[in-house]
Amino acid sequence: MIGLRGVEVAAGAFSVGPLDLDVPAGEYAVLLGPSGAGKTLVLEALAGVRRVRAGRLFVDGADVTRLPAERRRVGLVFQDGLLFPHLSVAANVAYGFHRGNGERTGWLRRPSAERLAQLAEEVGITHLLKRRPQTLSGGERQRVALARALAARPRALLLDEPLSAVDVEAREELQEVLRSVCRREGLTVLHVTHDRAEAFALADTCALLVDGTLRQTGRPQDVLRWPADEAVARFLGARNVVRAVRDESDARLAHLATGVALRVADPLPAAAVDLVMRPEDVEVWPVGAAPPGAANRLRATVVRLVLQGGHVLVGAESPAPMEALVTARRAEDLGLRVGAAVELTVAPACVHSIPTT
Amino acid sequence: MRGRRLSLFWAACAVAGALLVAFVVLPAASMIAGAGAGFLGEALRQGDIRRSLWLTVSAALIATAIAFVVGVPLAYLLARRDFVGKRAIEGIIDLPIVFPHTAAGIALLMVWGRDGIMGRLLAPFGISFTETVAGIVLAMLFVSLPFLVDTSRETFALVDERYEHVARTLGSSPGGAFLRVTFPQAWRGVLAGAVLMWGRGISEFGAVVILAYNPKVISVLTFELFEGFGLRAAQPPAVLIVIVAFVVFLVVRTVLLPRRGRSRKGSA
Repeated sequence: MIGLRGVEVAAGAFSVGPLDLDVPAGEYAVLLGPSGAGKTLVLEALAGVRRVRAGRLFVDGADVTRLPAERRRVGLVFQDGLLFPHLSVAANVAYGFHRGNGERTGWLRRPSAERLAQLAEEVGITHLLKRRPQTLSGGERQRVALARALAARPRALLLDEPLSAVDVEAREELQEVLRSVCRREGLTVLHVTHDRAEAFALADTCALLVDGTLRQTGRPQDVLRWPADEAVARFLGARNVVRAVRDESDARLAHLATGVALRVADPLPAAAVDLVMRPEDVEVWPVGAAPPGAANRLRATVVRLVLQGGHVLVGAESPAPMEALVTARRAEDLGLRVGAAVELTVAPACVHSIPTT
Repeated sequence: MRGRRLSLFWAACAVAGALLVAFVVLPAASMIAGAGAGFLGEALRQGDIRRSLWLTVSAALIATAIAFVVGVPLAYLLARRDFVGKRAIEGIIDLPIVFPHTAAGIALLMVWGRDGIMGRLLAPFGISFTETVAGIVLAMLFVSLPFLVDTSRETFALVDERYEHVARTLGSSPGGAFLRVTFPQAWRGVLAGAVLMWGRGISEFGAVVILAYNPKVISVLTFELFEGFGLRAAQPPAVLIVIVAFVVFLVVRTVLLPRRGRSRKGSA
């Protein structure tokens, strides 16, 4: 397991924390946050290459706060792999072999060929062992970096944006390798990224770090559906955040400043709230074509259309500025164009409310 | 038009560079040409020139070795750590570059001479720095150590510190990470600094002549021959040291440091 108790880390004037986080043994946790949130500082502190200003760090139940990096048995993989350029791939992987484990033998401390072959097989780099790091692709470099980290038999693995320097196809393969290898080895993982898709593809647990503070921790689907605050909601792509007040007699009805009321599934937690709606939960209809029983119907005018892969992000002016995400096919069927009048609907269950801070 | 402007720019750079190269080559070439054919053998047959050449080369080598042992750790510290007084230390290390070398000799004499604090301290052990090889090494070390320390510091700074972080998590101590990861990536730069330092050492005159006129290093011998017997007599030792230095620099730059250009494109 990995544990942080009241951890504060500083770099110059910027500081992170105090942070409390628990990653149970064998779990894959992702520390997610925008660039500059302080994610790497947390990782460096756990690895032992940066001092903590306050708090305690735990790995496998042991307090490692005062232990030097070389005695923590925590593997570290950086964004760019950082393979030692003066060593071959095989020598890179074998760097972490220890004589005590029988992985180095003889007075020359030759690395164990058997263990090397086993690790190479595990991460799919057998054909690369004789190569130099400079000749590898981004994905290959990361596989080697992963094998090198595993070679030292770490109790926990720390990954600092390990996929961001890798092209799209290799990224999916590498995600699969990361997931399967970590599961097979039963490793506790803390993976740092700013990429939401990457986080949700890999994480058992997501921890949101914004401006040096841990805002929310939970299962990816829960964090996505129930963001703890506006900053988290916006970072997770919930582009529709509108301020509202609770109806005095109906706790499930919220009034926007423009006079429009939106119905929510659960009673509003405070008199003043931010209503959060994900674009993919906002449905777009031709005027008058929305299902008769649909709640939260808003008349709107399309002001912007942005193609995003197989989807179209529809910007609309309505009593509140809204954005909806529809498939490109649906956009075509609806004949969407800038200036067109449409109707938007949002199911009450898809309107999440956060007390206004 | 843009291409033409660019080619004019490069042509101007080439002309400026050619002027500078000629400025360096002309005196050396005219000295070698003026010495006449067979001067090298003639110079090497003279015992005092041979001894002086060996003394110069070896004293500069010893000074470089000493600077390597104490200067490389300092360079690494300056490249990796921020601490109070760091800028002051960097300034102090660079001081010998701006010190007039005769003044450096006098300053060294005041500390390491017979009446200096270090001189008095070491005299009971039979160690003297005036008119000895030790004095020559000391003078060379003082005036040339910035070349090794500064170059090494810059080279270490170019090696991403995160390599050491990775090495630490793989079980290396800080020293182990330096020896197994950082130094193997930086050795070419350190060697380049060492060669520069050695080259600066063999050419030293001002500080050496004040601390140890004897035994004579090549620069002192050249000066003495020039003063006593004129230009013609001073040419053989001067030409010899220029040739030796040129050959050493050429070998180091073409054989030992060929990857400098390529490493810029690599990961380190």
